[in-house]
Amino acid sequence: MKFRGGYNITLQGRPSKKVKILPEPEALYLPLESKRFDFTSIYVEEGQKVDTGDVLAVDPGNYDVPLLSPRAGTVRLSSTEGHIVLEDISTVDDVPDYDKDSIPHIARQMGASGEMRHKLLALGAWQFFRDAYTNELPDPMGTPQAVIVSTLSLDPFTARGDVQFKNRLLQFTRGLEYLQSMLEYQPIYLVIPKSRTKFHDKVKDQIRGYAWVKLIEVPLEYTRTNFNILARNLGLKRADGPIWGVKAGGVLAVDRALTHTKTSLVRIVSIGGPGVKTPEHVKVMAGYPIARIREQYAREGQMRLINGGFFTGRMLGEDEIGLGVEIAGITIIPEHTEREFLGWLRPGFDRSSYSNAFLSTLRGKFAEKFTTTLRGEPRACVSCNFCEEVCPAGIMPHLIHKYLYSDMIEEADAARVDLCVECGLCSFVCPSKIELREEFIGAKVFIEEEKAEAEAQRIKQEEAVQKEQERRKESSEENLY
Amino acid sequence: MKFLLNIFEKKIKPNFEEGGKLKVLKPLYEAIENFAFSPAARTIQAPHGRDALDVKRYMTMVIIGLLPCTIAAFYFYGLRLLPMIIVSYAAGGAVEVLFACIRKEEIQEGFLVTGLIFPLVLPPTLPLWMVAVGVMFGVFVGKELFGGTGRNVFNPAIVGRVFLALAYPTAMTTWVATGKGLFGNMFKYVNAPPAAQAVEAAKKLGEVATETANASQAWYSDIIVDGVTSATPLGGADVSAVDMFFGNVSGSLGESSALMIIAGGVFLLMTRVSNWRTVVSILGSAAVMSFALNKSNPDEYMPALNSLLAGGLLFGAFFMATDPVSGPITNAGKYGYGILIGSLAILIRNFSAFPEGVMFAILLGNIVAPILDEIVFSIRFRRLRNEG
Repeated sequence: MKFRGGYNITLQGRPSKKVKILPEPEALYLPLESKRFDFTSIYVEEGQKVDTGDVLAVDPGNYDVPLLSPRAGTVRLSSTEGHIVLEDISTVDDVPDYDKDSIPHIARQMGASGEMRHKLLALGAWQFFRDAYTNELPDPMGTPQAVIVSTLSLDPFTARGDVQFKNRLLQFTRGLEYLQSMLEYQPIYLVIPKSRTKFHDKVKDQIRGYAWVKLIEVPLEYTRTNFNILARNLGLKRADGPIWGVKAGGVLAVDRALTHTKTSLVRIVSIGGPGVKTPEHVKVMAGYPIARIREQYAREGQMRLINGGFFTGRMLGEDEIGLGVEIAGITIIPEHTEREFLGWLRPGFDRSSYSNAFLSTLRGKFAEKFTTTLRGEPRACVSCNFCEEVCPAGIMPHLIHKYLYSDMIEEADAARVDLCVECGLCSFVCPSKIELREEFIGAKVFIEEEKAEAEAQRIKQEEAVQKEQERRKESSEENLY
Repeated sequence: MKFLLNIFEKKIKPNFEEGGKLKVLKPLYEAIENFAFSPAARTIQAPHGRDALDVKRYMTMVIIGLLPCTIAAFYFYGLRLLPMIIVSYAAGGAVEVLFACIRKEEIQEGFLVTGLIFPLVLPPTLPLWMVAVGVMFGVFVGKELFGGTGRNVFNPAIVGRVFLALAYPTAMTTWVATGKGLFGNMFKYVNAPPAAQAVEAAKKLGEVATETANASQAWYSDIIVDGVTSATPLGGADVSAVDMFFGNVSGSLGESSALMIIAGGVFLLMTRVSNWRTVVSILGSAAVMSFALNKSNPDEYMPALNSLLAGGLLFGAFFMATDPVSGPITNAGKYGYGILIGSLAILIRNFSAFPEGVMFAILLGNIVAPILDEIVFSIRFRRLRNEG
């Protein structure tokens, strides 16, 4: 497989393989909104007692994906805005009230596969799936053209696949079998790193027996495991139907749901970055208070907590109190406070760069202590071409930037801004500190809306023309008599 | 340095803020503050940290790359370079600051490079006021009229150079002998020789004389020396390749020593600040072109090696054509751009009234660059059309 672009940084504070179980909190704060989901239909009332695995709310816009209660407790709806709060928490054995009779007609029609899919949705395993191209939740009853299973996450730092299924290889392969049994003949691509550790040899040995799993070995370089990039590299076209992308944690959730009829509410999440005291993995459930994590892991001083990795994560704001359901990693980076005297003149042993303009070039790889500094002032594009060199999607960020700068939306569309995978590498390397990623995300949304609007207008016009024709036809027929 | 930062932020800054007395000069103040202390700006979106390289550092690298030939220029032509550099920075900088204040934008660092490159492509004894006029013309017409750094079509230093060459052909073709020995002219102030002396000096060196008596007549005659460079060795005299390599030939300030140019240029290539594709294709095509000419008629055309080392070809290839803004932005376009410049430079040298052609070749390359880019874009768009 031939890849374009890509670039690795070595961020200080890489999470160790150790998985720690965080102490139980007094209360859980479940956010009603996350990157993909918006749980607007609330199923519980103020003061209601719920058990582990009960449905608290669903997202009607996403095939009624449920927000499941991670613990037994008492519901408080109005105490914290935008969150469902669970108080008086207790751990009751995970007895989900999965009701076979609730299977909708459409799933029943699909037979065994339909039942399995419905189970995945009801037990919260379906949340782990995403469409490779759109990043949205795929239709659980739909037919994908392929499934891509990735065991890697290269955005520093998100939970590592090998940590997640290190001791659960059996469950992982069983999960793959379940996936296969839900499909007809569509291929499953399993992405593993191109490295020769014992563990990977073991995985390979396990998988060898499955003829329907296609192994893809990728180099350990950032964005190589992006589902969108993988799908494009595999020659899968967007127009040929959805492509399911799922990570190791998702496959394990599938196994748990279908073997034990259990929910996967406790996740393995990484906590890493230069602002972390002891970088490691933790077992944690949605709704876990962020303040507790900050207390236990963040160093002294101003620290920024990021939901996700360094390149694509989202800053956790003041109004976010609990972890969302989609969390895969928490990255903590010190806020920029110190202004360096004559910073641009320093030899730069301590700062790495995509260019070789610092002495760190002579030093080889080292863990760098990044802060949130922009490291410069925004400037006009100097056409250094770095963004194009690192872009994994093969587009020309500098050109699209210039088009967008002068409002040439059609040209930006022709330059295929829609292929952007939002990996953030272009913004990272830009010496002019242009917010390319953000610009492109905005442009993509804008273009999509414009296109949808144009399409709607076209349909409307066609309908009008059709009506007009019918009317004429009728009147001419009337005239005949 | 905390106290200094305090003085900046508490004492000086309010004067330039909204309502302050010196509000108009805010870009100038900001440039100075961020020059002294790295900017306070934080990321507000992913990616949450950024690469250490910024435009200041980027341009600093170019200046470091120019240092070897600047030092060589001091050695060969003496202290007069110093006032030339100061005048160039002051005059060009004034235009830059003026436009930044008018536009209410930040002062862009690109000028730091133009200000140093410009004196290096001038003859050693050019009057200082001409340096000022040239750099102001270059920055104003070559850059600001197009919208400032990042939007200019032409390399501002070359625009200024061409302007001077056309406006003051005599002064622009007056050369002096290089310094020799341990310190060369390092501690001397070599002033402009009277016209007659210059001719004599040139003759003594066995080089092409500069016709100073009648500039307009000289313009059309074959003997006028011109170019981005000292075209002196281009006139047909026998200057050995070894002399040209080490710099023992008279010419423009920065382009004497091929060794020093290559040292600085290779440094720039290694930092990834300048792009090797441009350099390699310019030098490669120039070598092929001059080799072919030399083979066809060895008496008329000089050997390929001399051709590469002579005049401003190396300086132009390493430092002027690699300006990323005025060249093509696509990597594929850079090959075409380089080949065009390299072969045009040799053609202009040998088949036109000008003994040196690098300056014009780069200017023409600048004009063609957007077209090359458009071609590459259309090919890439076609390829991308069916992706994903």
